[in-house]
Amino acid sequence: MIRNWSARHTLAAGAMLILAVNAVALVGVAYNRSGEPESRLVMTEREAHPPQRWGFEAENSGMALFLEWRLPDRGAPAWLDQTKLGELGFDVSRRADDEAGHRHYEKLHSRDVLLVLEFAGPAYDAALERARRYAAERAEAAASNPGKQEFKRSADAAREQLAREQAIASRLFVVDAGLNHAKLRQRYPDRSRYAIVGGRVRPTLYGERGREKVGGHIEALDASTVNVPLELRPFFEGADSRYEVAVAFGKRLEPWLVGAVSVPASATARKAAAAPYPAAETRARARRPARGS
Amino acid sequence: MPVYSRAQAQQRADEIRAFQRELAALERERVLVLTAEQRRALAEHHGSVLAEYARSFDIDRDIHAKQLSLGMRIASLLGALALGASLFFLFFQFWGRFSTAGQVVILISVALGSFVGTMWSQRRDASGYFTKLAAMIAFVCFVLNVSMLGQIFDITPSDKAFLAWAALAFLLAYSCDLRLMLAAGILCLIAFISARTGTIGGMYWLHFGERPENFFPAAIVLFAIAQLTGHERFAGFAAIYRVFALITVFLPMLVLANWGQTSYLDIDPVIIKRAYQVLGFVASAAVIWLGVRCGWNHVVNTGIVFFLVFLYTKFFDWWWDLMPKYVFFMVLGLTAVLFLVVLRRLRSVLPAGSAA
Repeated sequence: MIRNWSARHTLAAGAMLILAVNAVALVGVAYNRSGEPESRLVMTEREAHPPQRWGFEAENSGMALFLEWRLPDRGAPAWLDQTKLGELGFDVSRRADDEAGHRHYEKLHSRDVLLVLEFAGPAYDAALERARRYAAERAEAAASNPGKQEFKRSADAAREQLAREQAIASRLFVVDAGLNHAKLRQRYPDRSRYAIVGGRVRPTLYGERGREKVGGHIEALDASTVNVPLELRPFFEGADSRYEVAVAFGKRLEPWLVGAVSVPASATARKAAAAPYPAAETRARARRPARGS
Repeated sequence: MPVYSRAQAQQRADEIRAFQRELAALERERVLVLTAEQRRALAEHHGSVLAEYARSFDIDRDIHAKQLSLGMRIASLLGALALGASLFFLFFQFWGRFSTAGQVVILISVALGSFVGTMWSQRRDASGYFTKLAAMIAFVCFVLNVSMLGQIFDITPSDKAFLAWAALAFLLAYSCDLRLMLAAGILCLIAFISARTGTIGGMYWLHFGERPENFFPAAIVLFAIAQLTGHERFAGFAAIYRVFALITVFLPMLVLANWGQTSYLDIDPVIIKRAYQVLGFVASAAVIWLGVRCGWNHVVNTGIVFFLVFLYTKFFDWWWDLMPKYVFFMVLGLTAVLFLVVLRRLRSVLPAGSAA
């Protein structure tokens, strides 16, 4: 041990350690928030909302908004295919349909990558169109099978799904991944619609036994929650609060709340939630509702 | 012989009292009878030594005080853990009511203040019980400081936090002679080294537990620290390093011996399982041998525990379904008896006064 080490030295070392660690953390925060944000998304309660509190969390007096993100497809996203996984640094050259291949892909662990978040863009439009088309198909089927309860139920469910997609579902989608920030930003230059954040991706196998294919799975986003400072809390308290919130992402791709504004619950949103399903003969004339609430 | 810690002073005091009891027995049996002058000088010397230790280290003067001390140690440990948890929940309950600047100031002040408080307590508390409480609170405050800063500013989580926590825990451990803090520091160090090992393989740092082999470098580091750094002034520290090193090796081996698919190796999991089972037996036997050779009781005992665990898990794999349960447990019991016989032999081979 160091000779002549006294209590005074311990006091100085400990105090310096505590102050240095805090200084490093705060300088990092200042750097992240310095200059122009890397991106800035203005979202609503559909995309950023306080999580439900239960158990231990109910005692937490702090508040954070949970960023509700989605994938364009159910299951493994189509864009996160074998080629993309190879670009992200995974060894996906092995076959997936034999024992050695299964073992290889099971052993592949998740990696840190950059993910592209798209807000109210083509991915949301496509999801809305899919819901609309499905609701129309179910409505047509119900109309062709009058009196049959299962068709009516299916049509009702499809209509509700469309209403949710129009008024409630998140419009925030993960649409791409990469390792090079500059290249991703070049591909998605609109900083008010596309945010680049850190996250984890992992290869996964899907399909029937013996005919498996390699796909990808997004495990988590680094920026999955955003802390709410005291001065902005009133906007988010209350079960039915409606708001627009600006979330900025900085140089280290860490988010923070820039501001928030209350928005009255719109008539459009209420109508959409309760709208009857489009009749088969009027589906061609159905118009796309306005974006946002 | 200089004495640097309460543990060393207590050990010396116990030796003095044992010597006094043995001397009284020898005098009764007329094997050794001291002159009045010798008896007076001895009593004077021992009296002044014990008084000095009582004043400087608050040692136990007799067996009753020793029994009470054990209770105080348990109370101190439980109190430290409970106060630490209470502080955490206290902050959790109220932090949201402060502004961001207020939260940061509170976090830094509490971390600094509790650390200064620990140093102040150490100067006044010869027994060390209150210092242990204060040190635990200081450590919890620092952990809270770093993790809450991360939450407030949405800082991307990093394994470097473990390094900072380990640094403070080690500082408290060595300056206040606290084995609880040493254990906390070692756990943080294990987490940091294992996470770094995982990231070298391209893994996300928080998933380091998915591959038990990530823990092996940490075990090597801990063992090296015990061997290469002098711990004469810190009773029990080297033993704690070695025990944690062995646990950090054997627990992952045990996992791999049962779930071979968690290994980094891209070969048949059954082969991996069998290889780690054999390695577990060989390594635990080697550890027992090393402990006997170097006179490290704690290493011997840890090796024996894991040898038995590996053995019993193998017995379970082979015979749990095949044998009636009473026969299975009888086999376990007879194995334990066999071990007792072997250990009795080992005990006669162990050198007296084995090193810590």
